[in-house]
Order: sequence, then C-alpha cells, then structure tokens
Amino acid sequence: MAEVKGELQTQEFELNMGPQHPSTHGVYRARLTLDGEKVVKVENIIGYLHRGIEKLAEDRTYTQFIPYTDRLDYLSGMLNNLGYVQTVEKALGIEVPERAEYLRVIMAELSRMASHMVAIASFVLDVSGWTAWFPPFRERERILDLFEMTCGSRMTVSYMRIGGVAADIPPEFLPALKSLLDDLPQFIEQMHALISGNEIFIGRCKGVGKLDIETALAYGVTGPNLRASGLPFDLRKAQPYGCYDRFEFDIPVLTNGDSYDRYLIRLLEIEQSARIIRQAMESLPDGEIMAKVPRVIKLPPGDYYHQIEASKGILGFYLVSDGGTKPYRLHIHSPSFVNLGAIPKLTEGSLIQDFVVTFASIDIVLGDVDR
Amino acid sequence: MFGRGLIKGLRTTWHLGLGKAITEQYPERRPKLPPAFHGSLSLDPQKCNACGLCARACPNNVIIVDSERGEDKKRYLSAYTVKLGQCLFCGLCVESCPRGALHWLPDFELACYRFKDTEHVLYKRNPEGEVSKGA
Amino acid sequence: MAIEGIFTAIIEFCQGLLAGTPSWLQTLGLGVLYLVGVLAFVFLNVLYLIYLERKLSAYVQERIGPNRFGPHGLLQSIADAVKILGKEDITPRGADKWVYIIAPIVIFIPATMLYAVIPFGKDLIAADLNIGVFYFLAVASTTTIAILMGGWSSNNKYSLLGAMRAVAQIISYEIPLAFSIVGVVMLAGSLQTSQIVAAQEGTWNIVLQPLAFIIFFIAANAEINRGPFDLVEGEQEIVAGPYVDYTAMRFGMFYLSEYANLLSMSALAVTLFLGGWHGPWLPSWLWFFIKLYIMIYIFMWVRWTFPRIRIDHLMGFNWKVLLPLSLANILVTGVGIKIYQLITIGRW
Repeated sequence: MAEVKGELQTQEFELNMGPQHPSTHGVYRARLTLDGEKVVKVENIIGYLHRGIEKLAEDRTYTQFIPYTDRLDYLSGMLNNLGYVQTVEKALGIEVPERAEYLRVIMAELSRMASHMVAIASFVLDVSGWTAWFPPFRERERILDLFEMTCGSRMTVSYMRIGGVAADIPPEFLPALKSLLDDLPQFIEQMHALISGNEIFIGRCKGVGKLDIETALAYGVTGPNLRASGLPFDLRKAQPYGCYDRFEFDIPVLTNGDSYDRYLIRLLEIEQSARIIRQAMESLPDGEIMAKVPRVIKLPPGDYYHQIEASKGILGFYLVSDGGTKPYRLHIHSPSFVNLGAIPKLTEGSLIQDFVVTFASIDIVLGDVDR
Repeated sequence: MFGRGLIKGLRTTWHLGLGKAITEQYPERRPKLPPAFHGSLSLDPQKCNACGLCARACPNNVIIVDSERGEDKKRYLSAYTVKLGQCLFCGLCVESCPRGALHWLPDFELACYRFKDTEHVLYKRNPEGEVSKGA
Repeated sequence: MAIEGIFTAIIEFCQGLLAGTPSWLQTLGLGVLYLVGVLAFVFLNVLYLIYLERKLSAYVQERIGPNRFGPHGLLQSIADAVKILGKEDITPRGADKWVYIIAPIVIFIPATMLYAVIPFGKDLIAADLNIGVFYFLAVASTTTIAILMGGWSSNNKYSLLGAMRAVAQIISYEIPLAFSIVGVVMLAGSLQTSQIVAAQEGTWNIVLQPLAFIIFFIAANAEINRGPFDLVEGEQEIVAGPYVDYTAMRFGMFYLSEYANLLSMSALAVTLFLGGWHGPWLPSWLWFFIKLYIMIYIFMWVRWTFPRIRIDHLMGFNWKVLLPLSLANILVTGVGIKIYQLITIGRW
C-alpha cells in the first residue's frame, strides 16, 4: 500500500443550487463552493423573477398600481397593499374612515398570519417534516377563504384602495373569522406536538445559522428575523401607523437568533396577530369604508416615504411625484431582499443541510426580492 | 428530550391518520365560491353606454370598448372585448363602472388551448343592429 | 389445516411433476420455482407498498391519496409502472455509460437475493442456509456499491454527494445492525433463520431483546435509507441524490429496490424479533404476512412523522450511541444466558 504523507488533499467544487431546486423557494439561485458537505462560500444570485414592477409603476396611475403590489410578496398581499396606499394617503393627507382602518388592520394581520404559516410550513418541509407541512396550510386555507369572500381573490387581493378599502365584509365573515381564531391554539398545539419538540428537528435547527443583533443590524435585517435575535423592534409599536396604537399586543422576542428561534417566533407572532384581530373585531365601528377621494389622484410634487411592518420585515415605499397622475419614480424597500443579504454570512462554514435550513428560516419570497 | 418529542410526534400523526380528510375532490365536488369571487367578467349590454371608464381604469389595458354614434348622436356599444390573458383580476373596472353594467361571475375555469382564446368577446352588435351576447 | 399447507402442497406437486427426471433437472426446476415465487412475492408486494405508502402518508396528512385509478386507487401503482416504462430513457452526456447502465441492475439483484433466507411460513424457505443471517447482512450491504455506482457514474455533483452519503451512512449503520442481531443469534445458538424462528416458539425475541429491537429498527431504517435517515435521497438538499439523473425504468429499478429493501428488512425484523411465522389459529404464512405489514406500517409511520437528521448527527448518533448500546446489549445478553443456564441447569 502506498503511504500517504501529510494530510489527504480535498478539492473544493462549485454547486449550483437553483433556480430549479426543491428548497430554494422559487427561483433563487445560490452558487455554493463546497468542500465535501461543507459550504465554503455562498453567492446569492437573484433576478430570475424580475418583472420590473418599479418601472411599471411609472406607467400606471396611483390607483392602477395597487394590483401590482399584491405581486411583490405574494404571500402577504394585504400588507403590501396597506404599505402602498398608506404612502399615497400620507402624501395626499387623506383621513381614512374608522371602519376602513379597522378592516385594514384585520386584513393585514390575517395576511401576516397566512404569511407566517407558509414560512413555518416551508421551513418544516425543508427539514423534511412532510406531515408538519399540512397543519399550517390547512389553517392558511381558511384565511384565504376569508379573503376570497371579502375581496374575491385569495392571494392577489387588491383589497385596499387609496382612502379606504374596496369592499365591506360580508355577514358570514365575522363568524368564520371567530371560529378560525378559536381553532388557532389547537393548531399551535399541534405544531408543537408534531415538530417543535421533536429531537431531530431541534438538532437540525438549534444553533444553526446564528444571527446576532450587531450582524443583523449591519445587514439591515428586520422583522421576525431581527426579533428572533433579541431586538424588540416592531414598527407597529415603534412608529404606529393606521390605528395600531389602539390595540394591545406584545412584541415576541427570542434571544438565540438561530433557525429554531426564527421558526418559533413566527408561531408566537401568529398568536399576537390573533390577539390584535380579536380586539379589532370586538370594536369594529360602523360607517363608511371609503373616504372622499378625488377621482383623478395627483400627488403634489415631491418625494414621500412610508414604511410598515410587513410579515417579513420593514416594507417601505418611496414615491417621487412630479405632480402628474403617475408616479415619477417608485422605489420599494422590500424586506426579503434585505434579509437575503445576510444569507452568505450566516451559512458560510456550515453544512449543506444547514444552508437549506438557514435559508428557509430567513423566509424570503422571490417576488419580493426581485420585484 | 430523550425521545419524548419523537413519541409525541408519533402520537400526533397517529391521531391525524385517524381523522377525516380535509381536501376537496375537485372535479367531482365543485368549490362553493362566494358571490364576490373574481372569476370571469360579464357585461350587461343594456346598461352599458360605452363610456370607456372601465377601459381607462384597467391597469393593463385589458378592456377594449368599441362604440359608434347612432343617428341621434348618442353613443352605442358596438363591441366589448376583454383580453383575459393579461387580466390581473383586480376588479378596478367593475368598481369604476358608474352604471353597474360590469360584474364578476364565479366561473373560474378559464384555461384554454390557444392564446387567442383568452380574448373574450363579451358583447358584439351584429350588422343587423340586433343585440346579441357574443361568445 | 388445508390453508396452512397450500404453498408446500404446490412445491410437492411440482416435485411430483419432475419425479422421473434426472436429479439436476429436479434441482433446477425447484430453483426456478423458488425464484418465480420470490419474484412474484417481491413485485406484487412492492407495487402495493408504494400504494400503501402513498395512502398512509395521505391519511396522516389529512388527504385521501390516490383514488382515481381502480376502486380506491388500487390500480394506481400499476398505472405508474406502465407510465415509467414508457418514459424516455436518458443517459447524460458526461456519464460513465456502462456503470450508469449497470447500476440499477446491480441494485436490484441483492434486493431480490435477500428473500432466499426468509422463512415465509412453516417449511416455506427457499434456501435454508446455516449462515442465513450472515448471508442476509452480506448481501444487503452490496446495495452500497450500486448506489455509489449510480451516483458516481451520473457525473452530477448532487448525485456524487448522495453517493458519498450513502457509503458513509450504510457502512456505519451496518455495525450496530449486525451487533443488534448478535444477541438474537446468541439466544438461538444458530445463524440459521429457521432455527432462530424455531427458538422463538415460546417467547418472541422482542420480549427478551427489546433494546436490540430498537437498535435494529433504527439501524435498519438507516440501512434502507428511509424515514429520518433518508439523507441519501435528501430531496431538500441534494434533490434525489444518486437517482437525480436516472429516468424511466432505470429510475424505476432504484425505486422498486428501495421498497424491496424495506420489505426484506421488515421480513428480517419479523424473523428475528417478532417470532417469524409463529402464531395461533391462523396459517403460519398468514401470520408472517400480518407481522410483516405491521412492521412496514411502523417504518412508514416513522418516516412520515420525523424530519430528516443531519449528517454529523447521523454519524455521531451511530458511533456514540448505537454502537456502545449494541455492545452493551451483547454483554448483558451473554451474562443473562449464563445466569439462566446457572439457574436451570445448575452449572456454568
């Protein structure tokens, strides 16, 4: 036998993960440099879902752009709608009727719940927990049914309008919503029993993809990912918009900042969203759902910025108007894009399985990344 | 720890396995769609006065309203086409209609083989002047 | 009982047909009969195992599962098999062609060879080797070579990663698997499967060797790349591992052999731990069959509940937990046997 002198040499190789890959959540592509199972280098490659939404905005009136916001983060259409219409309302100084504000909060929180459910489900699926994929999607289906009965669509809702909302809720909405909220603890219990306490699952996610506050802030990571790292920053509390200041809710914070905490915090946020919805449901005022808005919307020249807490982090709309009926420029600060930037930092040096887990726990939507 | 979570998980799947299926067997059982559902568009030609507000409200220029002026100088609708292939199903057109002529149908099975079939002619006046609802 | 002897009667009938012929022809004829029997058993079961897996996973996930073709979708697997036969057979350009072609065949041969030593019922065993258990383990381990062949020859990075995982995983888990069986072999005093079954007439080995059963179950799960140990396939990470480039019937062979391995592992578990074909009232082969499917159900139940384990945990669990436990089990079994002998016989 030939004697091996010194250490055995290994060779690094490049692996293209995506755009067609079961766990890249759409058309994300990562160019991984691997040393065996170990990830040495990660390069994000995005743009496969670029549709030029920001450019499309320049050729649409302010109202006409609303349907396009649905297609940013298509898992939480309501929140995108909310962010955009509030930007325009802020620019115009429109007072939105009480009922519309409350309906917006209900819908936005439902949307946040739906988005977190998908995040949990796809995260668990990426750890190969096939069965645990189903309970979140089962509950989300009921949320989508609520959207469907109110505004006619399930995901691309286009529900919010500048100055209000498109339609009032039908009479069967509130009972259905109530039964949904009543079943939520059961769903969360089921998730805990099925997967959260599972030793294999804990082994897969605990301590994987650790993100400390400094790194998170340096990368501009926001939303549940930041809160899982230990910073209780939530725009709904920090800069209340709409009528969020009237509701009582907590900001769940976890301290480890690993994949497991990023999973758990979403379950906790679902609970808090349910709390907000319950309060909004009980104090839902009667009245108009649309404010008096001029037929042709023209923004005074200038630039406007408004940001909300979307399901994945801070979603900001930056509007530049030249006084015409169409925006001169629209820029979208999308949470998924920003959060994606931290992926190489989080995953380099881990195993390829950890890469998948960390990537899933960050929870991005490619429609939001590429716009 | 030490397998307690594993056993709990097994128990949960056991109970789930005994439960009822929640999926819908689609072609046999039709989904119960709410009246607000955005399926396909339909037009009431009697109510429409071909003002074209819907066409202007549309973000994607999906709607084409053809009109002609009659002898009394009034506008009449001559054809109403919806290019559903580009439709976003946002409902801005339905909202914009001042006369309530345009509304949604819960008919959602719009798949077709050719792209030109995505163009739905909701109304076409035939040369004799008779009013008929097109294909 | 009439049903009890139905298969032995068939064998005797065929032996009667060959009565006047030379002895080599008798041996050959009987061999062919056994082969046909085993192949029929494997193929029929595997087809319905796929159906069963899909149905069970559907029930667990609050779905219905295949229900289109045949009553309750019973013919679904057959439709799938026909479909997969009709698919285009693709050999990637960079592939090592011959290795690529041979790999699916190589994986299927040991998968069927394993059934030779399984006692399906009373006197129902194709080849009652005196080293039956050893034969089983030896043949089962050759699966690794086929997976490595497939993964290497595809010339695909995903499949190479999968193949490397397969080698690491299967070879490591073979050790606790073998050691967990040692306890059973010590109790029976034989490596012959029929002897092991005969030794379990009173109490099943699962009662005497519960720890060995659990170790065997975990290691077997890893050995056949199922459940929480399906790292080789690892859909979320390496897409389908070694099978990623295979199409049509070649992929089908891998797929079938995976289920054939599940079946044979369950059969081995029944033979070694669940008393083989022993059981009251019902015919022996039916008992075997019932136990076999209970075992398979547990395998599937575990698979559809647990997430996938990580590769370093996989290795750590094997070397740090399973191996010491299985060794301790052997020690305890040995001491226990000696104490038992001391009590019953009154001497060492």
